Amino acid sequence: MTREEIFEKITIIFREEFDDDSLVITDESNASDIEDWDSLAQVELVMSMEHEFNMKFNIKEIKELKNVGEMVDLIMSKL
Amino acid sequence: MNTFDYEELDTGHREEFEVTVTDEMLDSFRMITGDDNPFHRDDEFAVRHGFKEHAAFGMLTASFLSTLAGMYLPGEKSIIQNTEIKFMKPVYVGDRLIVSGEVAEKNDAFRVIRVKVAIKKDNGEKALRGSMQIGFLE
Repeated sequence: MTREEIFEKITIIFREEFDDDSLVITDESNASDIEDWDSLAQVELVMSMEHEFNMKFNIKEIKELKNVGEMVDLIMSKL
Repeated sequence: MNTFDYEELDTGHREEFEVTVTDEMLDSFRMITGDDNPFHRDDEFAVRHGFKEHAAFGMLTASFLSTLAGMYLPGEKSIIQNTEIKFMKPVYVGDRLIVSGEVAEKNDAFRVIRVKVAIKKDNGEKALRGSMQIGFLE
């Protein structure tokens, strides 16, 4: 799977989580960019990605992420 | 009240309890929510719209999922984070409900469980199904 394909799937996850079909995310996007991106949303985003990409993340990996781009990199490293 | 910690629960762990729906429950729900829709109190209205009698509020039936999480699975340490439900069949006064939940998934990173839930009537029909994502108080 290419980085672009991963990004497309993550965009869908974000749009579903925040119920906004027009939401645009970038590699630099983080919680400060989206109003409803709180700790509960974080749990749901990560769990949705685990289901989508059929992988598990540990809490250390999740805590070290600074933005969406690093999440994409993490997913690529586990594929 | 159960007091399960995250570590004590395995995938497949199941809890259930029974509750019978009464008109008093409907009255209390109506008072709390202000939902005075005649479908939930007027038999003539309900029959006119194809039901055998006035039906219980769907959200009253769903409220027993709070009991399931808060008292049984996991119980005292429960924090409900997310609930998805579908209403399958109407519930009526006098129906005995079996409310059940089974741990379908555990997430070790966030210490949350996903519980597959169902509420069945004593005639075997499933009134409600769905899932809850539940965290644990530290």
